[in-house]
Amino acid sequence: MKQIQDAYIVAATRTPVAKRNGMFKSVRPDDMLAHVLKAVVAKVPGLDASEIGDVIVGCAMPEAEQGMNVARIGLLLAGLPNTVPGITINRFCSSGLQAVADAAARIRLGEADVMIAAGTESMSVMPQIMGNKISLNPAIFAHDENLAIAYGMGLTAEKVAQQWKVSREDQDAFAAESNRRAVAAIAAGAFKDEITPYLVSSYKPGEGGAVRVTERLCDTDEGPRADASPATLGKLKPVFAARGSVTAGNSSQMSDGAGAVLLMSEAAVKRYGVTPIARFRSYAVAGVPPEIMGIGPVEAIPRALKAAGIGQGELDWIELNEAFAAQALAVARQLDLDPAKVNPQGGAIALGHPLGATGAIRAATLMSAMQRGQARVGMISMCIGTGMGAAGVFERV
Amino acid sequence: MSRLIIRKVAVLGAGVMGAQIAAHCANAGVPVVLFDLPAKEGDPSGIARKAIDGLKKLDPAPLATKDRAQFIDVANYGDGLEQLRGCDLIIEAIAEKLEWKLDLYAKVAPFIRPDAIFASNTSGLSIAALDAGLPEALRDRFCGIHFFNPPRYMALVELIATARTQPAMLDDLEAWLTTRLGKSIVRAKDTPNFVANRVGVFSILAVMHHTARLGLGFDEVDALTGPLIGRPKSATYRTADVVGLDTLAHVVGTMQATLPDDPWHAHFKNPDWLAGLIAQGALGQKTRGGIYKKDGKTITVLDLATQAYRPSAGEVAPEVLAILKNRNPADKFAQLRASQHPQAQFLWAIFRDVFHYCAVQLGAIADNARDVDLAMRWGFGWAQGPFETWQAAGWQATAEAIQADIDAGLAMSAAPLPAWVFDGRQGVHAAEGSWSAAESTLKPRRDLPVYGRQLYPEQVLGEAAPDAGLTLWENEGVRLWCLPARDARIGIVSFKSKMHAIGNEVMDGLLEAIARAERDLDGLVIWHDAPFAVGANLQQVAEACQAGQFDLLEKTVAKFQQVSMALKHSAVPTVAAVQGMALGGGCEFVMHASHRVLALESYVGLVEAGVGLIPAGGGCKEFALQAAALAARAAGGDVFPFIQNSFQTIAMANVSKSALQAVELGFAKPSDDIVFNARELLHVALHRARALAEAGWQPTPVQRAVPVAGRNGIATCEMMLINMQEGGFISAWDYRVAKAAATALCGGEVDSNARVPEQWLLDVERALFVDLLKTEKTQQRILHMLETGKPLRN
Repeated sequence: MKQIQDAYIVAATRTPVAKRNGMFKSVRPDDMLAHVLKAVVAKVPGLDASEIGDVIVGCAMPEAEQGMNVARIGLLLAGLPNTVPGITINRFCSSGLQAVADAAARIRLGEADVMIAAGTESMSVMPQIMGNKISLNPAIFAHDENLAIAYGMGLTAEKVAQQWKVSREDQDAFAAESNRRAVAAIAAGAFKDEITPYLVSSYKPGEGGAVRVTERLCDTDEGPRADASPATLGKLKPVFAARGSVTAGNSSQMSDGAGAVLLMSEAAVKRYGVTPIARFRSYAVAGVPPEIMGIGPVEAIPRALKAAGIGQGELDWIELNEAFAAQALAVARQLDLDPAKVNPQGGAIALGHPLGATGAIRAATLMSAMQRGQARVGMISMCIGTGMGAAGVFERV
Repeated sequence: MSRLIIRKVAVLGAGVMGAQIAAHCANAGVPVVLFDLPAKEGDPSGIARKAIDGLKKLDPAPLATKDRAQFIDVANYGDGLEQLRGCDLIIEAIAEKLEWKLDLYAKVAPFIRPDAIFASNTSGLSIAALDAGLPEALRDRFCGIHFFNPPRYMALVELIATARTQPAMLDDLEAWLTTRLGKSIVRAKDTPNFVANRVGVFSILAVMHHTARLGLGFDEVDALTGPLIGRPKSATYRTADVVGLDTLAHVVGTMQATLPDDPWHAHFKNPDWLAGLIAQGALGQKTRGGIYKKDGKTITVLDLATQAYRPSAGEVAPEVLAILKNRNPADKFAQLRASQHPQAQFLWAIFRDVFHYCAVQLGAIADNARDVDLAMRWGFGWAQGPFETWQAAGWQATAEAIQADIDAGLAMSAAPLPAWVFDGRQGVHAAEGSWSAAESTLKPRRDLPVYGRQLYPEQVLGEAAPDAGLTLWENEGVRLWCLPARDARIGIVSFKSKMHAIGNEVMDGLLEAIARAERDLDGLVIWHDAPFAVGANLQQVAEACQAGQFDLLEKTVAKFQQVSMALKHSAVPTVAAVQGMALGGGCEFVMHASHRVLALESYVGLVEAGVGLIPAGGGCKEFALQAAALAARAAGGDVFPFIQNSFQTIAMANVSKSALQAVELGFAKPSDDIVFNARELLHVALHRARALAEAGWQPTPVQRAVPVAGRNGIATCEMMLINMQEGGFISAWDYRVAKAAATALCGGEVDSNARVPEQWLLDVERALFVDLLKTEKTQQRILHMLETGKPLRN
């Protein structure tokens, strides 16, 4: 790929991830966004915020509390100068990673020296997981080839499980392992550096007509379950198909959270005297049939590696979004990814998947691993609803 | 009408009964505080809180809707007693230990207001003994209030006075329980186990005695003692499993301890096999095993001979079945007694011994024979009480047969029948009243004002017939009549069909009744006993389909719609008085009436999908109108969000499990009346019709411009369907039927939010209905339903 200059990630952070209707039940997604924007800027002392070329924010359901171009609202709430622009982008589950890729592209093209990429999503404030108003096009049902546009994600996971012969037992074992890794990582404090704790204030009717305000500092991911085992997971009933294998336990959790990444050109890195964490190497996105959307990364990952000129064997840390154990396993097997390197600290089955925020959140995780020296070449990848896959490659500096 | 105002109830004890009594108060919208012991750790009111969570999981549901739980507060005796000061009725429902109860009474007494009512739900302890331990100030406001399990569904509440209980207070409480909670009251004497359990448990003991004597199987006895003799399906031993074998043993133990002079005392003991099961921890349903046990998919029953479980069969011998089918009770009992078949001998013996027991004990336990019979109907679900059964069998002949068996040493006790049995009477129930053995007189029904609300109270055999009213007009399908003594100008239309199914005669009758009401009357009430209506007459539909008379069928559907529209747009108010099932077309008539009066136990739903059809008597149209009205008040005005729930309701053929839920589902309106006592339904409906008339009734105009969800709405419903079909949850035909429902609800294949007249909506649903009727798969579903009573998933 032709580029003028490299783009470097110099800082990344995220909120802890909450279960849907959990600790962030009444937290607004624009507030979560403002929180991570403020925090990521604070990680570069002396940064002249007015130099930020754009704030690109991924969000999969950009409406209601996270509508109205939530990027611009979030940056204003964060106290960034009103001269800083903001744009909200949407590619469903890869929105956050797309934001990082777009921000990097602007630097690589020489259009900007300082950029912020972020993602925010509250699945608690969405009245339905498909947004406030669901309205499907009648044309979908007029032609059989379009039917899969209407398929729920869980149903597509069942189709992947069937086509790639991923057994229920394997899915449950994978889900249990995801939880085990996440619980262990939390216990080891592996997420501490990347998380900026969030102080949740709650307003409830109190005594004598007064509003009772309580505060709670949230600093730990809420999703992982220490008691998840193949045996307990094996008891759950399939949700999406009467004789299926995909359950609530081997699917990603619905969640709330936000993440932000600060990117700079080499010139800016030098000017501010910061030590960059990683160089952005490549990004690819590709389409697959909507009815097997979960297999998307199989198309995207080789393209991203090729664009970066990196062999798959060089990857030592892969954040592969676990939309469903069925699709994550199918992808890992198809591409022969090393299970030890895939989600070493657990994935979305345990940690949660706040749709459009996930890419930015996992970028913070990967950067943290690189800062600890646990990864040199890392990748973030995910499948995308209606049939796509995305992958981004990062290299420690 | 009850004048007693109860603003808040306290229930002491969050066990099975306490929590469910609290739930039923909450159903009635009466706030309740549910107390239990302070929890040893965590939330001090955790025990009561857990009990409320448990209520939401019980089946049949104690709560009429889940959100009613909001009216139940939790408390504990440690720090919550202050809350008692705000309660007007305190019901104690803790474990049956006298000293525990008295300890609790001493603890709570200082917090109970002097004008509050304090009552114990004890089923076995003496009210006098409880009263004796009460602080003086509470004694004249104390009584027994004995609910039956499950309290929402079992009608009976026994009220027991002490010598000190204020009579007026008890009358007020009776009225409140009757109207507000919908209960049926029997005043019981303060004797062990009161009336229903005294007779009911004796009956169980008699069944156990004769089971063993004749060597019958438990399953065989259950086949004999269920619906065949007018008792619940769970019969005897299955009921014991449901109640809990330990509970049954406890009640029997109470009789043994407290009734030493009862002539049947020798039989007041638990059989060895029962004690054995309890010792093994097999207590019935709650331990997943008792007399019966589920083994995979087969139900097994304990066999006494082998002491092992074997598959449950329980067959009634054809010759015994033939006797039981005899419609003449006198012949039936004579034949049972004469038969040598052990099953027949068994049946005669259990009736004989219960008759014998009731005759001997009547004077001691109840005011009169009617109270015993009603207690057994309301508390044990018997179709007829023991005295009326005896009377129907021929009083004297039966009495002589019993006496002969006593003399022959065949009866369980040698106690002689009381002299009054042989005083030449024909029975214990007569037009003037029912026999009181204690006072040697016929006692009429008590005339509390609350009973003026029951125009047709539940009657025992032999009572004077109530006012049948004045017939104004009738055909084969309906009777139009009125009660001049109540309101000569409010018509009552009652269906005559079996299960009140709606066929051509009913529709013609309704159209005529509405026309006559518009001409001659001030209002019209649709009322009859439950069920309200089980829907269209499927037999007629199936026959027309087979004859290929689709034009005729289309006309029939059009008539259905015509009736609905006539009900809705009538020049006089139309009031549907609903109890029990109101399904399919019955539900549509309910939806179209000007107003609804619903008994709490109303099971309302559009179940057409089960037979491969959609509602086409205006049911889809009404939901489309509702959505349009709701959307008009919502930001944005988009109709579809308000279609979604009704689409699911129709596609899944959901039926409400209470009147409150019927409102939630949109079959009834929040402004409708919900009546807790179904016997008061007609009274309320007549008054409601009169009030609507007096308020200057103006019929609702037919809508001309209804915004509909249209094509996008249909597609969005299809999204749900394709996922369910691909997931294997529904068949392709389910999809097709549900899509038709979606199309009707969304107003057809028009632009989203296009405006259509009400008649357009009727035309759309009628056309879709007829299209479905013409298909083989829908016809298969209809035939299968007619043959098996169950839906076919083809």
